[in-house]
Amino acid sequence: MRQAFSDSLVRIADADPRVLLLTGDHGYALFDAFRKAHPDRYINAGIAEQNMVGMAAGLARMGFRPFVYGLSAFVPVRVLEQIKLDVAHDDLPVIFVGDGAGFVYSHLGTSHQSLEDIACIRAIPGMTVLSPADRHELTAAMDHAHASGRSVYLRMGKADLGDVHTPETTVDVTRFQCLRPGREGGTVILATGPIATTAVRVADQVEGAAVWSIPSIKPFDTAALATICQTAGRLVTMEEHSVMGGFGSLVTEEVSALHPLPVLRIGVQDRFSEHCGSYDYLLREHGLDLDTVTARVAAFDARA
Amino acid sequence: MQSVRNVSRSNLSFEPARLRRTVLDMAYAGQTVHIGCAFSIIELLAVLYRKHLRFSPTDPRSPDRDLLVLSKGHGVMAQYACMHEIGWIDDQAVSGYFADGSTLKGLSDSRVPGLEVTSGSLGHGLSIAVGMALGARIDGSDRRVFAIVGDGEMNEGPNWEAMLFAAQQKLSNLVVIVDENGFQAMGRTDEIIGLGDMAAKFTTFGFDAVTIDGHDEAAIDQTLSAFRSDGSQRPKAIVARTVKGRGVPFMENNNIWHYTRLNEQTYRDAIAAIGGDQA
Repeated sequence: MRQAFSDSLVRIADADPRVLLLTGDHGYALFDAFRKAHPDRYINAGIAEQNMVGMAAGLARMGFRPFVYGLSAFVPVRVLEQIKLDVAHDDLPVIFVGDGAGFVYSHLGTSHQSLEDIACIRAIPGMTVLSPADRHELTAAMDHAHASGRSVYLRMGKADLGDVHTPETTVDVTRFQCLRPGREGGTVILATGPIATTAVRVADQVEGAAVWSIPSIKPFDTAALATICQTAGRLVTMEEHSVMGGFGSLVTEEVSALHPLPVLRIGVQDRFSEHCGSYDYLLREHGLDLDTVTARVAAFDARA
Repeated sequence: MQSVRNVSRSNLSFEPARLRRTVLDMAYAGQTVHIGCAFSIIELLAVLYRKHLRFSPTDPRSPDRDLLVLSKGHGVMAQYACMHEIGWIDDQAVSGYFADGSTLKGLSDSRVPGLEVTSGSLGHGLSIAVGMALGARIDGSDRRVFAIVGDGEMNEGPNWEAMLFAAQQKLSNLVVIVDENGFQAMGRTDEIIGLGDMAAKFTTFGFDAVTIDGHDEAAIDQTLSAFRSDGSQRPKAIVARTVKGRGVPFMENNNIWHYTRLNEQTYRDAIAAIGGDQA
């Protein structure tokens, strides 16, 4: 997914001379291709994220199209007020790319783990919030974000979990992406971000479960959810994010108004990580590993 | 643009007493606060609008305008007063300040034509100004950026991040003006977060910086003119020593006028202090 990000960035900048890249001294090697292609459009703002976002707003007001790159623990959470006031208030065309969302920096601890960014950013009026599951959704998300000319947060999670789409698929990131059809009245799993790869594997073991990937958290395709609710027996949401205020909360808010159904929200409970370890270790600590999730979904699916 | 500016500005004096009168009218009509911090920047704004800011009187969003970023958004009534002189704000907006459904808010808001940023949450404007100055330079434009920050606002960390970046990039098209009126919300700056010698700090950070009397229009003009022509590659800073509440003796250096609303008597007294109905 990171290669797709780099490729997309270079391609978009090739086509649009107003595109600039700002980074808060992050992204070593990730921007080699961009720096080679457009050295004068690469701006290392230093370890000063608040100033970086304010500057991006100033550049956007001068007609530029900044991409602002940071770790998702810092962009958007550390700079939330700058995003709200300096950028989103006038819907300036700035694209924030928060890398390493979720437990990606599993060994580094709480400062680098980002599990509240969706909850924070989606409350800001007008923001587009994209959460691609794989390189195909990421590429489509980059193009959509740039074409929209609006304020966008693009959440990049664990980048090496593989694809959920085939290379032939044309992804419209504004729409729900059906990864696995299910049976009528059965369990429908709605996943956002790379945890969609887990969702597909869960469905291998829960017969009749459907799986959808939802790359656009905001705007959210309420009509698509309404259609799913017409035939679903119950819903499961999956995200590598807190269950408070994130994707699961969003689905629950919508479902409660549209077509009430039981919803199982799978995500991170209201606590920080206790321990350090591999990415897989932390997923297990928080009950987001394949076995735990499969067991929970199977038990939920067995409900009348 | 040059000729347009000279012709159309000939009737615009931005006379400080008139600007203060407009502030008093708005503050009284809206029963609002922040009079003291508007009065401390009156002469700074007057000189900027009168002579140094490039703008189109008929279009507050003209694409080649210079950019005035009021980071200390609490002083926005002073900027409204200048915009009223130009005609960007009508009399109704002054007399109807803070009426339900009105456009002009109590802090700077970028959706108002003539204002460049949404500020009031402090420590935002300078970073935006630095981005604007960087953008102008990338474009090879001669547009200039002026950022007015409060001395109390310099408590905020992003200002110092912005200063470092501006110096690193040699943004000579940026002029930072610190309204050093010596007060912040809860008291004197030197009793809360003392700033010491601000000009020395700017100089150390890589700026050309001078300290002047922020109510001396000739000194303001002279400094801005000198900055324009000195050929230095460094960003510029003016530390403007000002008086909070300047122009009305019972408001001067009295921080209660950060919070106090005018009543009929204090409104009349304040108008008399700035020159009565002549203002």
